[in-house]
Amino acid sequence: MTATVQTKDKRVNQTKRKDAHSVSKRLQQELMTIMMSGSSEVSAFPDGDNIFKWIGTVKGPKGTVYEGLSYKLTLEFPADYPFSAPTIKFKTACFHPNVDEHGNICLDILKEKWSAVQSVHSMLVSIQSLLGEPNNDSPLNTLAAETWCNQPKFKELVHQFLKKSKDEST
Amino acid sequence: MRPDDADGAGGPRSAKEAEVRQRNSKDGEPAATEPEVEGATGTTTQQDGHFECNICLDTAKDAVVSRCGHLFCWPCLYQWLETRPNRQTCPVCKAGISKDNVIPLYGRGSTNQQDPREKLPPRPQGERPEPENHGPFHNFGIGDGGFQMSFGIGAFPFGFFASTFNIGNGQFGGHPPRPNVPQNAEEQFLSKVFLWVAVLFMFWLLMA
Repeated sequence: MTATVQTKDKRVNQTKRKDAHSVSKRLQQELMTIMMSGSSEVSAFPDGDNIFKWIGTVKGPKGTVYEGLSYKLTLEFPADYPFSAPTIKFKTACFHPNVDEHGNICLDILKEKWSAVQSVHSMLVSIQSLLGEPNNDSPLNTLAAETWCNQPKFKELVHQFLKKSKDEST
Repeated sequence: MRPDDADGAGGPRSAKEAEVRQRNSKDGEPAATEPEVEGATGTTTQQDGHFECNICLDTAKDAVVSRCGHLFCWPCLYQWLETRPNRQTCPVCKAGISKDNVIPLYGRGSTNQQDPREKLPPRPQGERPEPENHGPFHNFGIGDGGFQMSFGIGAFPFGFFASTFNIGNGQFGGHPPRPNVPQNAEEQFLSKVFLWVAVLFMFWLLMA
């Protein structure tokens, strides 16, 4: 009886280790893809030695109020990635209808519409397009959602928000 | 079956490959030698990337393909379906998918791979539909069809023709009708031919 329990434990450990191995393998694959793509619009790189934590950068899409700005995000991958979505947050303060004051993002593909074929690159591209096309029906930031129709004012607030958070951090 | 190179070398080569793979996974190290070994055998297509699992982004192991045509490792797809039992969709195209309607792919030399998935159920077996064994002449003959019509001019029984009419629609031979079997079309064609033969024969009889 004890013997079977032991083998079972061993097996569970093996599976866990194998899982961690396959997750880091997939993340390495993604890192390679994102570096080979040479995209200047979005980029990402592991934060230090830990491959489960990345820092991403998204450029404000052209022709929107975010043009010329660049936003940093943190990506945290769960142990069962890609079967669960990573946690993505804005590190740079972002004035946007679907981003709250802590940087949390409300985006369906990161929540209930998550799919295992999403990659770091595809997620960052989705976030970039979310910047230019917010969903004002379910806002996390109501002020931003209300101001969206007034684009010059919105742009002003975006820059104000950025400046304020920079001042606070220094 | 060629007696020379391919079949002879295939066995030991893939066995060696499997051994290397096992050793790598045992050590828990990144399988650095794997691409090299696979490259040497020429069995991989990593360059064009057409046979990579959509979930782990690696060459698909124990490959299965969904009805919508997307390739996965069976362990990867199984885990994906396990994580969302209520909404079973293809991760690529969101088409409906289930454990039962994926098709396993068997490459050459894939049978000697040891199954690493002790906890997972094995991937579904390949379907092997029974061949349709009643040919077009099965219902041919007097008294075989369930519906027999016998009418005659004078004393001539027409049971022979009656049973030919039965071929197309009434398969009373104990087998349920199976759609999508190519034999079905052939059968229908034959039944039409017999029908015309019968009509012509009757016409000739009436004229005579």
